[in-house]
Amino acid sequence: MVSLPDKEAGANSADRIFADVTTVAVIGAGVVGRGVARQLAASGVVDRLILGSRRPERLRGFVRQLIGVDVEVIAPGPLPSVDVTVLAQPTGGHAELADEALGNGSHVVSVSDSIKDVEALLDLDAAATKADRSIIIGASFSPGLSCLLARHAGSRFERVEEVHVARMGTGGPACQRQLHRARTKEAIDWRDGNWRKRPGGTGRELVWFPDPLGARDCYRAALPDALLLSRNFPEADRITAKVAATRRDRFSAWLPMLRSPHNDGGPGAIRIEVRGMRDGIQATDVIGAIDHPSAVAGAIAAIAAEWSLLGALPSGGWSLGMLDDPVPWLLELEERGIKAAVYQGISTS
Amino acid sequence: MRVLRRALLAASVGAAVAAVLRLRGSGGVPPRQGSWRQLSGPDFR
Repeated sequence: MVSLPDKEAGANSADRIFADVTTVAVIGAGVVGRGVARQLAASGVVDRLILGSRRPERLRGFVRQLIGVDVEVIAPGPLPSVDVTVLAQPTGGHAELADEALGNGSHVVSVSDSIKDVEALLDLDAAATKADRSIIIGASFSPGLSCLLARHAGSRFERVEEVHVARMGTGGPACQRQLHRARTKEAIDWRDGNWRKRPGGTGRELVWFPDPLGARDCYRAALPDALLLSRNFPEADRITAKVAATRRDRFSAWLPMLRSPHNDGGPGAIRIEVRGMRDGIQATDVIGAIDHPSAVAGAIAAIAAEWSLLGALPSGGWSLGMLDDPVPWLLELEERGIKAAVYQGISTS
Repeated sequence: MRVLRRALLAASVGAAVAAVLRLRGSGGVPPRQGSWRQLSGPDFR
């Protein structure tokens, strides 16, 4: 589905033809949006950055940190005509903005982890294909890195029967508010070819994340990972997604947030367990990663934007779990300091 | 006296429900051996 980006030909800004000014708009200047902007400014493939913020006056200090690119800060309003639009604002309304960006001839990268946003963005697939533009859905930590790792782990099986995603940690305040809402909403599990809705906060499971975070109780919540992974593993019997929660998280999930969210909800971790048949026997692989979710989301969204600029990504609406080959993404993430880990010691029977 | 009896009844019913939930709750089986190993470039090929 996705071809390798041709780094020899275009990744270096010195190799590019400077007749065109490459412009990327990052809508939302929270923790993730700023991370995306920093990475894009340092990439050498972006000439001009447009940052969209509800409070542009607060970005003066941040803009001074972005060296090597022209930066413009805009307030909410019509989207600018740019090459790539990164939607890093809080969840809700991502599809409407993506549709508007497509109309401007822009590629779109969305970091939303809301089921409603993801469903609406997937519905834009035909429009994006027709416009010959890509909409990269769920380009963050989970979904995002979780989908890449699941895709990579799944490629080692002849038949994937089960995929179970678990995550802990959040990005910035908007991400924490979204997770707070998701804890009480219905979760969607893929079970034997059908969707099964289950109450959020149920299904307690002790999950062992990469060290040093270790074991945490995880529960169902309204997470979009299963929705995106089912496109890549339609023959799987079960696909689930859970999130870590403390007793206080569960107790207060039904209430408004009792205190202001942290500036950054990291460090976080993801753990993906894939079960299936390999070499004729039942096998289980566990793969994961530990990092700050906001940093990972910033890196993945930035890579998606850079490779869209280079014309290395296919048109249409798709998520990272639908890639034919996730390895280039994982290698690029490794270069940026984001490393995956595999659990060794799982027995096969 | 009636209030006390009702309070005791409510407390004992609550304790019984909590005990059932506690005993029937499933926390999974922790792995007995193994460890995480960081993946690098060659592992992905």
